[in-house]
Amino acid sequence: MNIGKGSFFCIVGPNGSGKSTLLRVISAALKPQEGAVYLDGRSINGIKHRSIAGMLSFVPQNTSLEFDFKVSDVVLMGRYPYINKLRGETGKDFEIAEKAMEYTNTTHLKDRSFMELSGGERQRVILAQAFAQDTDILILDEPVSHLDLQHQVEILNLIKKMCVDRKLTAITVLHDLNLASAYGDYIVMMKAGAIMRQGTPFETLTAAGIKEIFDTDVYVSVSPVGNKPYIYALTKPNIDKKGIRVHVICGGGSGSDIISRLCSEGFDLSSGVLAIGDLDWKISKENDMQIAEEVPFVGISGEAYAKNKELAMAADAIVLTGLYLGKSNLKNLELLLEKDLENKPLFILEDESFAARDYTGGDACRMYEMIKFRNNSILTDSKVLKEEIIKAVETHGESKE
Amino acid sequence: MGKVKNRNWLVFVFLIASLILTLIFAASTGAVKISTAEIIEILAKDADTVNASILMDIRLPRVLLAAVLGAGLAAVGGVMQAIFKNPLVDSYTLGMSSGAALGAVISIITGLNARILGMETTGVFAFIGAVLTLFFVYSLAYTRSRMSINSLLLAGVAVSYFLASVISFLMMLNHDKIEHIVFWTMGSLSMATWNEFFISAALIIPSLAVLMYYTRELNILTMGEDAAHHLGINTFALKNVLLITCALVVGSVVSTGGTIAFLGLVAPHIIRLIIGSDNKRVIPYSALLGSILLVLADTVGRVLIQPAEIPVGVMTSIMGGPFFIFLLRSQKAGRQG
Repeated sequence: MNIGKGSFFCIVGPNGSGKSTLLRVISAALKPQEGAVYLDGRSINGIKHRSIAGMLSFVPQNTSLEFDFKVSDVVLMGRYPYINKLRGETGKDFEIAEKAMEYTNTTHLKDRSFMELSGGERQRVILAQAFAQDTDILILDEPVSHLDLQHQVEILNLIKKMCVDRKLTAITVLHDLNLASAYGDYIVMMKAGAIMRQGTPFETLTAAGIKEIFDTDVYVSVSPVGNKPYIYALTKPNIDKKGIRVHVICGGGSGSDIISRLCSEGFDLSSGVLAIGDLDWKISKENDMQIAEEVPFVGISGEAYAKNKELAMAADAIVLTGLYLGKSNLKNLELLLEKDLENKPLFILEDESFAARDYTGGDACRMYEMIKFRNNSILTDSKVLKEEIIKAVETHGESKE
Repeated sequence: MGKVKNRNWLVFVFLIASLILTLIFAASTGAVKISTAEIIEILAKDADTVNASILMDIRLPRVLLAAVLGAGLAAVGGVMQAIFKNPLVDSYTLGMSSGAALGAVISIITGLNARILGMETTGVFAFIGAVLTLFFVYSLAYTRSRMSINSLLLAGVAVSYFLASVISFLMMLNHDKIEHIVFWTMGSLSMATWNEFFISAALIIPSLAVLMYYTRELNILTMGEDAAHHLGINTFALKNVLLITCALVVGSVVSTGGTIAFLGLVAPHIIRLIIGSDNKRVIPYSALLGSILLVLADTVGRVLIQPAEIPVGVMTSIMGGPFFIFLLRSQKAGRQG
């Protein structure tokens, strides 16, 4: 691992993967069993404690004092590496400490007792101390883990600012991958004491990378602000399957909510015909559903139509969501008038008026009226859909026998 | 800022004045009253009266010895509380005092009570006992490269009890020396001589200087060992220097005065309540207060039930025990609130 000047390094990894140990080796608090840490090209274990302290400062997860010190005293401790023991602190040291408090917005706390401060304030004071230490490298061990959102952002902004203003190199362990992505110039991923991946957020924070390190399925998208990877944890509790297949005719996001909901209730789902890249298509992919898919904007080909029909035939019930209809997806409605599907229970979600969703100049509306009056059509809304499906599938099964 | 500094100076002046007054009071109080004027007269001229010999041969060495030992114990208490970041730590709760007492008792019953270069071997044994106990307790509390303060205190108290019972057992086996041994376990200054005072002063005063030299580092150490390391302190070396110096002080206190409980705990706390936790002041001010308290405790013990004497260790326990409980309770309340 090679660390360059002025950048923000984030170390991420599961608990017990050796992140803190790595930090302590970097800062010479621990001697490595193998290998060495080089600072300015010199092995760190050969440098005197005080000289290291002039180059490298450290911020722990939280600091608690059993004895009471004033905030200004705590900040002044940052000058220790430069203080002549017999002369004590000079005017210059006091000046630097004042500046550090100004920079971290802690000047108003200066006469308060450190232990009275809130977690966020304490962390700012410790940053002021590190600032007063005037080093090129700042090492932080989960500096924001116990803080609320406001203080997390406040502290990380401050560190980032120090990186930019003072060409400071920050090396920090962060638990929140999205914060690591947002602030880190460079991500180091650790697992079981070894560095598994390193690189820019886009190179490292991929679904595969995160699966490898954390053994967790995530969905990685791009943050709409800041153009960095954004990680969503997939909440998929292991629900028992109900053994009911439902085919969802949807598109343009009209089915996302229903698909997620039915999926988490344990239904087996399929969907169609969806344009590739459509929001409903993404959700279906994520849930490993079978999809009748088509290239966007070209209309529904015979092939896709056949696939859609096949999936609908295999299902116990069909759901028609409140999708918008245009020339290109009108065939999704046509499907529902097929003779072969007449016996399938069809649930029509009418959360929104159909006329407003018709962009075919009336063709779709006419077709929709026919569908409503075909056999086994049930008008419902998304709130009671689940119960209705279960009821319909049960009675339908009985009537067939 | 200016106000705080003025207040600190005020406290300092007050402590110095109190110490002088206490010393004069202690020197004049006793079975025979000696007036302040007479004390000054005796000190100024080499008078050959009975009062002069009482003052010069008996009272003065004892009072000065109490002052030196009190200063040592209180400073050590303050230093150890800072090192272990816990207000309940002192040489007594960590078992050092009991260890020193056992060392002293062993030297008494084995008859190895010789003098080498004017120093009694009892003192050497007490020092060794203090150091060994400290490192034993320390290693008990230090598991898997982490040290928990709770286990340190538990280990200290447990070892302390264990050593106390070993001392009791040794007392049972050695009836003939029981009086001598009781002296160690209860703490008493009744055997004070000029010689003892000079030896103690020669050991304790330089040790205090060492402890005070490191008060800035002590402040940083209270931020945690990691933080201290990253501010450029070799924490391992620093702690060793400080703890060995503390053991030296405790050893010399115990070898001359026996185990004197609670003083090291109480004095630094009173100082912190008044001027805050800055060790650059807490340590020297505690030493002054420790002197005052021990001289007072010894004097009161001396005159309260004349002609009998209450051992000074008993006096400090009577004073310090309730204070210790008060500290425990207020600490609990602080945690809950």
